Amino acid sequence: MNIVTNADDEPSAIASLFGGLIQANVESKPEKKRDFDGLKARVGIWVTDIDEGLTLDFQRGSLTVHNGLQPKRDITIRAEADTVMSLSNLKIGLFGMPVYHDQVGRGVALKLVQGRLRIEGLLGNLATLNTVTRIFSVR
Amino acid sequence: MAVNAFSDEWARQFKDEVNKSSAYKAAAKGWKWTVGLVIEAEPDKNVPETIGIVMDLFDGEARDIHVGSAADAQSCNFVITAPYSRWKEVATKQLDATKGMLQGRLKLKGDLPTIVRYTKASQELTEATTRVPVQWPDER
Repeated sequence: MNIVTNADDEPSAIASLFGGLIQANVESKPEKKRDFDGLKARVGIWVTDIDEGLTLDFQRGSLTVHNGLQPKRDITIRAEADTVMSLSNLKIGLFGMPVYHDQVGRGVALKLVQGRLRIEGLLGNLATLNTVTRIFSVR
Repeated sequence: MAVNAFSDEWARQFKDEVNKSSAYKAAAKGWKWTVGLVIEAEPDKNVPETIGIVMDLFDGEARDIHVGSAADAQSCNFVITAPYSRWKEVATKQLDATKGMLQGRLKLKGDLPTIVRYTKASQELTEATTRVPVQWPDER
């Protein structure tokens, strides 16, 4: 059964890439599957240096990927391509928390401080962000 | 001295550049898959046939890089495909490879989590390409 579907007849490259990445992660790691099955959230990602983005609509065990930013998002992440890829490379540490003290994590934290990584809707959605990060992460 | 792009001599120099790169060696530790680059023909740019580049990369070392057919490249574990002019943009730093993949300008086939895990290594490979002085077929 396909747990990830595209909302658009012609999914953009970035939508296909993130949909494929999440599907592969969830199918290969039981702990990510557990997170995926429990997550209900709409997450937008906007890659600032290519002016393209996508919306991930997680519905407890299924995901619909939309081209571009769609309304009613809980969280929106805006960053350059490199930073978005770094988010997928964050290690997951104790209690399922992303690790921000290694090289990749420090780089992500620095971008956040510099305003080159912006996360809208963080207030009240920190747990959701951590869950999304765990599902995203290839580590 | 400049070498013809995507020629046997280019492949040899590219391999040497990869193996000289300590940054690549560190970033690609644990990598154990072959990578094929498919350079699609653009007859109007003096590239009449599609070219394949086959890279045997293992644990931070380029064991072999050679020019082959498109089919050779397509049989690798990871395959990146783009027209000649787009590869030229990558090799001349006009197009970042990561952005190119996100935009679909470079088409990637292979296990996505693995390629994402080695984003830094792929950037270092691109850097190594840019250090090979090249004579481009459309500039001859």
